[in-house]
Amino acid sequence: MNAISQRPGLRAVGLIAAYDDAAALRAAVQRLGAAGIAFDTFTPRELRFADDPPSRLPLLIALAGFGGAALGFLMQAYAADISYPINVGGRPLFSWPSFIPIAFEIGALCAVIAGFVGYLIAARLPTLYAPIDEAARFAEASASAYVVAVRTDDGAAVRRVLHDAVFITELPDLA
Amino acid sequence: MSNTSAAMTDRICAIALRPRAGLWWWMVFVPAMALVLLLAVSIVWLFYEGVGIWGIDWPVAWGFAIINYVWWIAIASGGTFISALFFLMRVEWRTSLNRIAESMTLCAAACAGIFPILHLGRPWLFYWLFPYPNTMGLWPQFRSPLLWDFFAILAYVTASILFWYLGLLPDLATLRDRATTRGRQVFYGALALGFRGSRDQWRHYHAVYGVLAAIMAPLVCSVHSIVGLDFAGAQTVGWHSTQFPPFFIFGAFLSGFASVLLLVVPLRRVLHLQPWITEHHLDVLGRLLATSSLFVLYAYAMDLFTTFYGGDPAERTMFLARLFGRYFDVYWGTILFNILLPQLLWWRWARLYGPITVMVSFGVIVGMWLERYEIVVTSLHRPALPSSWGNYAGTFWDWATLLGSVGLFVAGVLLVVRIMPVVSMSEMRVLLERRR
Repeated sequence: MNAISQRPGLRAVGLIAAYDDAAALRAAVQRLGAAGIAFDTFTPRELRFADDPPSRLPLLIALAGFGGAALGFLMQAYAADISYPINVGGRPLFSWPSFIPIAFEIGALCAVIAGFVGYLIAARLPTLYAPIDEAARFAEASASAYVVAVRTDDGAAVRRVLHDAVFITELPDLA
Repeated sequence: MSNTSAAMTDRICAIALRPRAGLWWWMVFVPAMALVLLLAVSIVWLFYEGVGIWGIDWPVAWGFAIINYVWWIAIASGGTFISALFFLMRVEWRTSLNRIAESMTLCAAACAGIFPILHLGRPWLFYWLFPYPNTMGLWPQFRSPLLWDFFAILAYVTASILFWYLGLLPDLATLRDRATTRGRQVFYGALALGFRGSRDQWRHYHAVYGVLAAIMAPLVCSVHSIVGLDFAGAQTVGWHSTQFPPFFIFGAFLSGFASVLLLVVPLRRVLHLQPWITEHHLDVLGRLLATSSLFVLYAYAMDLFTTFYGGDPAERTMFLARLFGRYFDVYWGTILFNILLPQLLWWRWARLYGPITVMVSFGVIVGMWLERYEIVVTSLHRPALPSSWGNYAGTFWDWATLLGSVGLFVAGVLLVVRIMPVVSMSEMRVLLERRR
């Protein structure tokens, strides 16, 4: 969404150019990059580009996982040693090996929830409506079309770069 | 060539978006719902009258509820092994199976999840398992494997739902864009959350999916280890064994692959999925099933060996009763269904011949239930003190609850197959493109 929603105020148009497969899309994207034109892609399957920055979500998941496990462990230690110490046949209060399974489960649960919620935030979901949905044939991007979207005030120049697209549709009056 | 991304998308969307379910669907769904009704009646009667309606008593105080719980949670594992473990190993054939397998996991985990609550004497106090601040100043017993189990199931069920849903997002977006009726557009549109496949959405998706898979794989192993510790943690004849955690993971492998096979063979036929779920997939699943039956054979052999090598007379007495006593048919049924029958699958023609794979995998599902019956009931009916010996048999309500949970599972699977894409379309597109 980024490239399209930037630069408000210009008399801009949105162009949607579709390709048949990932290779053609990659070539088009490379030309756009060379021409210094900002763009976003919409593809029916996972597609990575060489200049994609790495996602920081795995770091968040790791923090949530290890943090959750540590807190889970401390909770059990606190309950067994401080809040409700109970002497069962002289066994040690701080029986740490028996706290590991629950600490692991809490850590895994925190990690998965952090990953899911973090993904929704990073992917800006839910976004049930976006202006680009108005573009004709944009819906094909979820099934067969490999789409590149450009927001520009010089539609003709972009059309020249994307001349080999299967189809190009225009989304007028974005401003 | 028909096996392109477009043909695949058309076919999978058509299954979810077809206006009417086929006759076969109703012919299975209606009986399944009748069983769900039976389950509901059994639960209402149980909550009204108490666990006395079941066959449990001293010394066999754990009965069908625990057997069914362990059975269902092991069945559930199949989807996680296929979707997470084989994802991490970059196994290609996993792609067309993982949606069916994961959906099966959710339905089986839902069935498993109700039994621990049903088996509580006072089910309305189940939340006492949760460490919440309470006026009694009490904590749950964190040293008990039974409490570990509560946390394990909580984490596993939640993580399975989120992992499944994350994998569904791109396909829900496809269905949203393909749906023709207003109701379906709204339904899939809301579920897809506005996923559009933008560059950032895929970039983060790739990272998160891989990491979640790396969490799910050890998580499912921890769940089954802990289920094993539920038993091994007790100083009960037949249970108190260090091999139980891996033993239960082996059992999970066996019943997980069997249940996936049992679903995939008929579904592939009625939904015409042969171009994507090929003979190769059946071949691989059959080999996995046969291999995991050898794992289980190892565990059974060690169970026998440690009992007689260990020299505890109570253990030996119990084991002899298991082999030749009142429940001998349960033990030998387990051997027949879990060990002997699956060996058929070492032959390729047997793996590819539908009736045989269905028979063997259904046999394993039955055999795994018998195995849990053997572990729970035969162990408990011969405690160390002969004065405490006793017998056990399930009552009508035990069987009604078991059958009802089967109905719940079948109905759940049918609903998912009816409204969700049965193959992960976005992952298949990567695979089909690579093949081209």
